[in-house]
Amino acid sequence: MSAEVTLTIDGQQVKAVAGEKLLFVALNNGIYIPHLCAIAEEERPSACCRLCFVEIEGLSRPVTACTQKVRDKMTVRTRTPKVDRLVKTGFELLLSDHRLQCRTCPKNGACQLQMVARERGLKLKTGRFKPLAKDIPVDHSPETFSFDAGRCVLCGQCVHADQNIARVGAINFINRGLKRKIGTFNNRCLRDSPCTECGLCVKACPVGALTFKT
Amino acid sequence: MKMPEEEREVILSQVGEVLKDFRLSRESLIPVLQKVQEKLGYLPVLAMEKVAGDLGIPAVDVFGVASFYNQFRFNPPGENEIKVCMGTACYIAGGKIALDSFERRLEIKEGETTADRKYSLERVACVGCCTMAPVVVVNDKVEGHVTPTRVDGILLGLETGRQNEGTGRDGEGRQNR
Amino acid sequence: MSAAPVQEYYQKLQEEARTKSAAQKHLPRVRVGVATCSIAAGAIRVKEAFEDEIKAMGLEAPVIDTGCMGHCYAEPQAIIDKPGHPPICYGKLDEDLARRLVKDFLVDDDPCFEFAMAALEPNDFFPTFEDYPRGVYEKKMILGQCGFINPEDIGDYIAQGGYAALAKALEQEPEDIIREIKNSRLRGRGGAGFAAGLKWERCRAAESDIKYVICNGDEGDPGAFMDRSILESNPHLVIEGMAICAYAVGAAQGYFYIRAEYPKAIERVRLALKQAREKGLLGQSVLGSEFTFDIEIFAGSGAFVCGEGTALVNSMEGNMGIPETRPPRMADSGYRGKPTVLNNVKTFAYVPAIVRNGSAWFKSTGTPESPGTAVFTLVGKINNAGLVEVPMGTTLRTLIYGVGDGIPHDKEFKAVQIGGPSGGCLPEAMLDVPIDFDSLKEAGAIMGSGGLVVLDEDDCMVSIARYFLEFTQQESCGKCTFCRLGTKHLLDILDAITRGEGTPESLDTLMELAEDVRDGSLCNLGGTAPNPVLTTLRYFRDEYEAHIREKRCPARVCSDLILYYILPDKCSKLCSACVGSCPTEAIYTREDGIKAITQEKCVKCDNCLKACPPEYLAVIKLSPPVLPEQQEGVKN
Repeated sequence: MSAEVTLTIDGQQVKAVAGEKLLFVALNNGIYIPHLCAIAEEERPSACCRLCFVEIEGLSRPVTACTQKVRDKMTVRTRTPKVDRLVKTGFELLLSDHRLQCRTCPKNGACQLQMVARERGLKLKTGRFKPLAKDIPVDHSPETFSFDAGRCVLCGQCVHADQNIARVGAINFINRGLKRKIGTFNNRCLRDSPCTECGLCVKACPVGALTFKT
Repeated sequence: MKMPEEEREVILSQVGEVLKDFRLSRESLIPVLQKVQEKLGYLPVLAMEKVAGDLGIPAVDVFGVASFYNQFRFNPPGENEIKVCMGTACYIAGGKIALDSFERRLEIKEGETTADRKYSLERVACVGCCTMAPVVVVNDKVEGHVTPTRVDGILLGLETGRQNEGTGRDGEGRQNR
Repeated sequence: MSAAPVQEYYQKLQEEARTKSAAQKHLPRVRVGVATCSIAAGAIRVKEAFEDEIKAMGLEAPVIDTGCMGHCYAEPQAIIDKPGHPPICYGKLDEDLARRLVKDFLVDDDPCFEFAMAALEPNDFFPTFEDYPRGVYEKKMILGQCGFINPEDIGDYIAQGGYAALAKALEQEPEDIIREIKNSRLRGRGGAGFAAGLKWERCRAAESDIKYVICNGDEGDPGAFMDRSILESNPHLVIEGMAICAYAVGAAQGYFYIRAEYPKAIERVRLALKQAREKGLLGQSVLGSEFTFDIEIFAGSGAFVCGEGTALVNSMEGNMGIPETRPPRMADSGYRGKPTVLNNVKTFAYVPAIVRNGSAWFKSTGTPESPGTAVFTLVGKINNAGLVEVPMGTTLRTLIYGVGDGIPHDKEFKAVQIGGPSGGCLPEAMLDVPIDFDSLKEAGAIMGSGGLVVLDEDDCMVSIARYFLEFTQQESCGKCTFCRLGTKHLLDILDAITRGEGTPESLDTLMELAEDVRDGSLCNLGGTAPNPVLTTLRYFRDEYEAHIREKRCPARVCSDLILYYILPDKCSKLCSACVGSCPTEAIYTREDGIKAITQEKCVKCDNCLKACPPEYLAVIKLSPPVLPEQQEGVKN
């Protein structure tokens, strides 16, 4: 059933199983593509962070690598002017809504946003966009970890960990649009939610929004 | 705020009534919330917890869904609900001016309820009466051609307890007399 | 297949309906248009006035609810059928006029032509709708019965041939119907214009015991109401279209997804479904055949994004209405993961006529790539606002000046906004663009679901762009980065420009960001959200520059860039209409009796300008917001 395919990513020949997602094929072969929201085992990816753009020969516009299934003889480029432009804008947009205080952030050095900046030569600044003030208090109520919504990039990794892996159902997305956030029932603090402090969500967080207390 | 036991009872029994008519699965969530709000006027925390429990889904999911849609409210509405249409036709015909007038007169912003709970003010995105723009829906009744003067008339009508029947071209004339 | 019984069953239904309607033929009838917008205009009061007066006069004359004829500029309306006269439509009715029509026409035989809009049948006394310019350009394929038949009585629809197409379809093989729809090249009327036949074919081919048909009535475009109007005026037409589709693709269950903001539409569809079940047109063994199909209503909860198919399905499944990536396509995996056909209200409404008359008939109207008609709600600065249906390929100019009778008050046309928040604004120079899916897209707008708003010289294009961005920003589901944050920054930049705080660089950022949001968003809501910005930048860049460089709003709309001023030489000392109209007591009388405005108190509500009598026209708006006194000061 699962036939092996050969594709080319940035000139490099890569073997993979047909139907695998391009993003993970690239990552498994040491080719970095920026990403925050992708979850390997999800059949229908969320594709919400909009950072993993690539160009595929035959397609007129950049597409997200997390949603593309690999095909035989696929030719992929991870860096083109169109890709770089979208990644830069997407990155700046995320930063414009992120409390940018790396030095005091517990995730400093291990943050995926910093990774994107390093790999793609982008500045950790909001650039063209005005920072959107986000003065949300940090939820320190759990014994073992803290939740800083001001640093959240809404990737959904924690929700996946809570709902699909731990099967607790303490957190989910709430509200719509710009007000969308990770929250608990009736905006209670995490201690008053069904949270069991299993820590899976904290481990899943790619940025400094969910961090263990030290 | 602690809720009196009676009020809890009322909410629980009302929600229980609603749930009787539905299959207890996630798919029923939105129709159930609509029905609950129809009965109670809003979605009390207790009601959402009851719905979550009976449908067998996490309470946070119920809250997430309820907070996603414009229709759902978490606080009791004002006695009189004023919805200002902000569809395109209304906007270019002065819908913003009508909204401003209501805000000024009621001394609240859109999305708020007056302290005496008499009025709540909302903006809605097109009620489909574009040819009567700008349109305001007052307690489910559509009022057309709403100028600032008409705003005064509508509020006066509500104050005196009889919502003026007239709208639009003739309504406005009558209002002045 | 049990072919003959279906026809027999249907013939009996129609016979019944026709006998019942013939039994009333000798009576005069009053048909009052009662749809959401007519109710707002006072239709209920008019209807009651007819009823009361008819009763008082001791007449036997049924008063019947109908839907919307599309002549919304003349609501409330009624049609009076009196034996011996052609049916006559009256507009702009009120209670007095209704009572008078009963007395003068029903009792005394004077049709009061002075109040009539048109007759519905050719006659020697009064013109019909077809005799007006609008009637010449319009061609009704799906709106034909709207406003004329009683949407609350299935018999009315059946008597006029309703459900005959379903009966015909049930005698054919599903593949034949799909072939006919494919041949007709019917494109989805929800916005994107995807070929309906291809969707159906794919869904038919998908392997699954369970399939669904969903009618998308989540009409959310601000400034558009055709779907509401059709559902309120002729629900059976859509139900019939859905049933044919269900038979063709092999579905047994259908759903109406209708916005909760449309209670009247929901009520009428609910009643229509009930009546259809009673007549054996829905449910087990439809029309006596082996086909089983029923429809339920799902009321949307107010989220524009739910018009997007995957979001709509998520919402029906009890989740947030959040779009998903595609593929899989709906036809392979839609509602509950089953193959699903999702079409717009209007798309389904074309189906019965295509099945009845054949694809060639359908293609004989419109253009080769976009056959059929286009349905628009024509609103904004237009004389004859309403719901119109014209052949595809009609130019915008014909639509606006021919059908809509041009711009009121001799104002100058500025732009036409097509397709709502996903569409664009086209200028005068584009008015000869034919209306079809591809031409509009090329021009930067989209067909959309049919909202068409005419803008005149008093409308500011920056403010319009800002308005739409505010809408999409508020309606963004918030899932993806570009739409959630990109639309917010677009809005902030536009906001700054309308406040006079824009810089020349803001236009570059605006343009770049608009393009990136278009290319980077996950779904079509975000992908099309920048269209109003991109088209206004393309066609009205000068207005942006006036706001930025001169702090001037050319249309005098943006409140931070205007002020109200009373021209001393035009002000009549004897009149104080403006003083009375001012809600903030900003207007005072100078010692010389002339009125003036305390600028600090002025809230720019426009009341004084409206209140100033036409013989003076002393109140004006100035932009940039500099008083003549200050201007002179600057000069000296």
